[in-house]
Amino acid sequence: MSGCKSKSGPAVMATPFDKNYTGPVTVDPLTRIEGHLKIEVEVENGKVSNVWSSAQLFRGLEIILKGRDPRDAQHFTQRSCGVCTYVHALASTRAVENAIGVDKVLPENAKIIRNLVMGSQYLHDHIVHFYHLHALDWVDVVSGLQADPVKAAKLANSMSSRVTKPEDLKAVQVKLKAFVDSGQLGIFTNAYFLGGHDAYYLKPEENLIATAHYLEGLHLQVKAARAMAVFGAKNPHPQFTIVGGVTCYESLSKERIQEFKDLYNETKKFVDECYIPDLLMVASYYKDWAGIGGTSNFLSFGEFPSVENDIDSRFIPQGVIMNRDLKNVMNFDPASIKEDIKHSWYKGESSLHPYEGETDPQYTSYEDRDRYSWMKAPRYKGESMEVGPLAHVLTAYARGHKDFVPVVNSVLSHLGVGADALFSTLGRTAARGIETTVVANTMSEWVNNLEDNISSGNTDIAVEWDMPDEAEGVGFVGAPRGALSHWIKIKDKKIENFQLVVPSTWNLGPRCNQNKMSAVEEALVGTPIADPKRPVEILRTVHSYDPCIACGVHVIDARTNEVHKFKVM
Amino acid sequence: MSESKKILVLGVGNILFTDEGIGVKVVTDLQKEFSFSPNVTLMDGGTLGTVLMGPIMECDMLIVVDAVLGDGEPGSVYRLTGEDLRRSLAFKDSMHQTDLLDTLVLCDLCDSRPDCVVVGVEPFDYETMCEHVSDTVKAQFPIMKERVLEEVIAAGGSYKTA
Repeated sequence: MSGCKSKSGPAVMATPFDKNYTGPVTVDPLTRIEGHLKIEVEVENGKVSNVWSSAQLFRGLEIILKGRDPRDAQHFTQRSCGVCTYVHALASTRAVENAIGVDKVLPENAKIIRNLVMGSQYLHDHIVHFYHLHALDWVDVVSGLQADPVKAAKLANSMSSRVTKPEDLKAVQVKLKAFVDSGQLGIFTNAYFLGGHDAYYLKPEENLIATAHYLEGLHLQVKAARAMAVFGAKNPHPQFTIVGGVTCYESLSKERIQEFKDLYNETKKFVDECYIPDLLMVASYYKDWAGIGGTSNFLSFGEFPSVENDIDSRFIPQGVIMNRDLKNVMNFDPASIKEDIKHSWYKGESSLHPYEGETDPQYTSYEDRDRYSWMKAPRYKGESMEVGPLAHVLTAYARGHKDFVPVVNSVLSHLGVGADALFSTLGRTAARGIETTVVANTMSEWVNNLEDNISSGNTDIAVEWDMPDEAEGVGFVGAPRGALSHWIKIKDKKIENFQLVVPSTWNLGPRCNQNKMSAVEEALVGTPIADPKRPVEILRTVHSYDPCIACGVHVIDARTNEVHKFKVM
Repeated sequence: MSESKKILVLGVGNILFTDEGIGVKVVTDLQKEFSFSPNVTLMDGGTLGTVLMGPIMECDMLIVVDAVLGDGEPGSVYRLTGEDLRRSLAFKDSMHQTDLLDTLVLCDLCDSRPDCVVVGVEPFDYETMCEHVSDTVKAQFPIMKERVLEEVIAAGGSYKTA
């Protein structure tokens, strides 16, 4: 792995817990996620014994799409979420292409450009997740104020190829202090480290380095987002995918491609010099989390196709791993997906394949423990599956992928842990970084392929096609948050049925018809809780999934200044 | 007021939830009906938080158009500035814990927080999934547009009918 030097971490510490709390803990709403999620747990003698993951927002997209032109689906599905907008556009577009057979003749350049935009989305999402959505679960920003900048700079220079000066870190402290003193809401509201917390292990110097990169990452993510817009026309809500290809003719010029390369190179540099070294630094202190938060089954749709209609040609491979068995990766079978609703706010107890999917809402109550979520419970061959970077990385690793294996091995050896450590919250967070670095390393090759095509006179980016009266198709996307699929049935040239099975539904849904827990519910069982009033341990595991609960509303509430607190009853 | 002061008119919200999308719709209308001086940019921000930091940090004056929960009747039009905004919180349904207000704090951390004014309207319904706004809010479109145009002029921009 470029940009980091080996450094042995401190000995493993056990999460201290002096409070053998027994009783319920509710975290509602979880902050630093998309949308609205409530996690209720039962704690027995300081450890989680039971879990209910409840999504509070109803998404009725399937209902609103019926009877519309299939080409319009992407514009609606993009708006269902506030962050990963492009992935829905791509999934809807692929679903229609698959239905009408255009996926067999998609221009090479269209495929490359879609891959480049998706690669940029990976870089952007994963950097923002690590620093701005997840870091505060591990990093005590306020403790960084106590750090010795000279010591911290020396430490930073020992971990990364970039040169960090003490005065730069001192400047970060000054800025940070002004913020803490001003009591501004925003990033430090609800932070569980305020006033100190036993479950935070980093020393002030490490906290300062991570905080400095948190600030730098804010600037950097703007550029990563802009890279998507070079081909995507705009960001948010890129508008360049169409059924049959892409529309960004103006982005085929030397200048535009150079602009993309500059933004990409700057982003990649930050990944190599900051993200990965920081990830290893944090992980080396929190090795006890290599034994917490694991699940059993993993599903990857893969992503970045070489041949559009061949799911086996994807750079990140597709695959299914059951019971942590890395020796037997199975191929993914689209017919084996069913969605259960016995514990969801829908009528009945059906278990249906997405093509036959129904969306018939029936809310019970907020307190209900039997039906407790707006999410359905997707299952693969009846089992609950984890999707996302960890599923991607495990599948690639188990299949002996030449780009993934060395990076995974270098991370494991740096931390001095075996492959079994991947099945954990720490493994999940590490996998996101591993995936980022591998994708970043290979994107330059895709840009070269695009340039070669253009300079040899191949500038095709879209094909003509006709809408059939009747067809059905599916679009599989390996999004930054995991396996995403859109399923479409077309009748009389209109949408007859449209179902979305999104990554967070796999990861954060409720129990299924067989009462099996979802991935996050399974992952939380056994989690130690040091302080039931500030259950950062729950946030660590939930945030490690980068939850995206389909953004519903975004109004400015001028009536209240109340920060929602979770309740301990 | 220099001519070169960069103004961003940002419509935010989710256009799939009835009045939630009012901000985006007003801005889309303005784009169709008027042409603005070169220092004015109109943008559909959707429901995004941190991804909007780029365009926000590039402007000197940010005019946000959004649904606002105040104490007024549905359709009430509001103007929020500095202190009102700091007191507001849309935490419950915030994006990434960085809804628009948090996004402004993050811009502040990056040393480029523009001045900001919000032109808002009290929604009648922001929960039903429907791509059209309610009649109550629809009736306020003309006044919303007028208010936004006033803010553009006050900030040093100009416009003419397209």
